[in-house]
Amino acid sequence: MTKELEHQFVTELENNQNIVHKVCTLYTNDRDSHNDLFQEITIQLWKAYPKFRGESKFSTWMYRVALNTAITLYRKSKRRVKTQDYDSVIFKIKADEYDPTEEEQLKLMYQAVKQLGDIEKALVFLYLEDKDYREISETLGITEVNARVKMNRVKKKLRTILNP
Amino acid sequence: MMDELELLKKDWQKKDEHLPKLSFNEIHKMLWKKSSSIVKWIFTISILEFTVPHLLYLLPGMQDSIDIYDKLGIKNISTCLWVVGYAVTFYFIFLFYKRYREISTLDNAKNLMEKIIRTRKTVKYYIIFGLTFLFITCVMIIVGIYLNDHILEVFPTENPDVSEEKFKQIMLWAISIFSVLFIAFMGGIYFLLYGILLRKLNKNYKELKQLEV
Repeated sequence: MTKELEHQFVTELENNQNIVHKVCTLYTNDRDSHNDLFQEITIQLWKAYPKFRGESKFSTWMYRVALNTAITLYRKSKRRVKTQDYDSVIFKIKADEYDPTEEEQLKLMYQAVKQLGDIEKALVFLYLEDKDYREISETLGITEVNARVKMNRVKKKLRTILNP
Repeated sequence: MMDELELLKKDWQKKDEHLPKLSFNEIHKMLWKKSSSIVKWIFTISILEFTVPHLLYLLPGMQDSIDIYDKLGIKNISTCLWVVGYAVTFYFIFLFYKRYREISTLDNAKNLMEKIIRTRKTVKYYIIFGLTFLFITCVMIIVGIYLNDHILEVFPTENPDVSEEKFKQIMLWAISIFSVLFIAFMGGIYFLLYGILLRKLNKNYKELKQLEV
């Protein structure tokens, strides 16, 4: 039974691992921390899995546990040296769509997002993942109105970072 | 800005192929790794805080201090105090365990933070209780020494020249200073430890909380 559950869980996580990788990309600055956070999220997902029981979609449930781990539970285990080229690997622009202005713009945007606070990053992340304000508010535990207010503030803050 | 965020969104959703890909086996291996979450830390530190002070009483030297209580004439009152102390400790352990069990990553971010803070507060109150308890014990010993007229019998000294009065004074000062320093030191370590551990959580919780105003 446990073996079966394990197999089922790992298969689902393997298929949906992009969500976790994207959270790790936003909340860490180097490959080691990325792997560390991925591991911690996996542990937390596995611990919560018996309670999951398919009430919502596996991916919906993953967003919540992954963000909770990144925002609240995760502690950086060691101070790490920041690898310079890390961002450029993750945020690579596809060659066939290469547009220097657009690429520059995107690079700056990604850098600006990385400078945001933990909660602000969560909002942007859910927005980028095309979640509506209802889901954003439910994930963070705030009202829909407050989620909109906060999102507007985040946009303003991004604007300030981009045009100091 | 709207356009730029939309541009980012479009690009973000095409990112999948650049993300790392872990195999089934790589993920499977992670299931049995140890968690290093702050909840785990709080749990471990709290268990230490609950047990270490009580383990001290198992040390052989502690038996002597019970004899000293007897000689100072405060044995009965200190026994009562210990019974109350243990009862309160068990109550705190029960409350801590109950609150710890309520922490769930399936909660929304704000609830999760609230439950962690509440669990930590249980330990905080326990520490405040423990330090108060220590303080009362010290005061009791000080009063016991103060009211005792045969202090040299309680604390046999190797220096027979020192007068009873002088010895009593030295003991009173030494114990007072030691207890104040010890209590301040323990309290300091405790608040520093949790201050560092929960700095990130407190900051994020405040940010969510501020939205409600």
